[in-house]
Amino acid sequence: MAFHSYKGGTGKTSLVVNLGALFAKQGANVCLLDYDFRAPSLNVLFKAKPQYWLNDYLEGRCEIVDTLVDQSTRYKLPGKLWVGFSNPSMEALKDIMGKDRKWEVKALTKTLSGKKAIVDEKQVDYLIYDTSPGAQYSSINALAGADLVSLVMKADEFDLEGTKELSKGVYEALGRKSGIVLNKIPLEQIAAGGGAESFGKQIESDVGLPLVGLIPCMCELMAMGGKAIYTIEKPDHTFSKSIGQIAEKLKKM
Amino acid sequence: MSSKADAAIIDLLRKLNRNVEIVSRKLDRLIEVERSAGGHALHPSVPVPENLLLDVTTLLGLPDHLRKSALALASLGEATATDLSKETSRVRAVESDYLNQLVAMSLVKKKRKGRDVYFYIES
Repeated sequence: MAFHSYKGGTGKTSLVVNLGALFAKQGANVCLLDYDFRAPSLNVLFKAKPQYWLNDYLEGRCEIVDTLVDQSTRYKLPGKLWVGFSNPSMEALKDIMGKDRKWEVKALTKTLSGKKAIVDEKQVDYLIYDTSPGAQYSSINALAGADLVSLVMKADEFDLEGTKELSKGVYEALGRKSGIVLNKIPLEQIAAGGGAESFGKQIESDVGLPLVGLIPCMCELMAMGGKAIYTIEKPDHTFSKSIGQIAEKLKKM
Repeated sequence: MSSKADAAIIDLLRKLNRNVEIVSRKLDRLIEVERSAGGHALHPSVPVPENLLLDVTTLLGLPDHLRKSALALASLGEATATDLSKETSRVRAVESDYLNQLVAMSLVKKKRKGRDVYFYIES
């Protein structure tokens, strides 16, 4: 599955990490891939210095399984939690910015064959892409490789209009099963929408996609971004419970 | 006739001209698609675009049936129509037809290895 958004700052990385950790905690084998090559984040949370980056895989310097670092022992998880990281160095970011369409063709085929290799060789139950926001090549490559797309949005006007366009122009065109995760929603906005259920239904109707989850804005989470995995460290927290509900919905899709 | 009326007519003619250009471009595009699907060339001087690249922007513009074949091929790397038909759950003859349409559009290449024909995306 791929987590995508029209705008940045919607909380995709936190959702990907916490969801992936929860699945691994439930005994599933999980692989997270940081496909946000322009603003890598997973390396910050996991404090990673892998031997190979996903960038190396796309350049043909290694196999995709060589990029994966198992985090399950560190977090004492019953299932595996493999993570593939993208290179955060300025050199790597500049390199990505300079890529042409011919390279993007290669990146697409490597993304799709890489997905197959991970699922086959690592017996992964869930492969989760964290992507760049908007219409970036790497994001759409990841969407092309995913069976299910979760659109993460904040439900402001910028997000709503942009998400509708993405839905028509990309998700529908790729024929991917999609759903919305509303994240960082102010309680006042939920109340003004007539409560969580009514607010959620309005957004579903507006965007034309089913609602997978609704997570209200929690200031303490913003401060902890990149520092804690709540589904492991604080399983009784409201956020962790929301992730649990999202996990159950995604399993049924 | 007044100069105001003249200006209005000229403006209308300019708009008509722009619309005719838009329709003409769309017709050219329809002819390209028809030719690449093996139809008759109504306008032989319109060439099939060469060196189209099969990146996601091209993928998004493909009809659903061709996109499915292209994505499956991108995942396998190099494959016969039989291999692809197992991925797409379509009959081999249908898959072969779609792959050959992609070859005609210069998005996919094919080569012979013994008795088998393998399709691949050049990158």
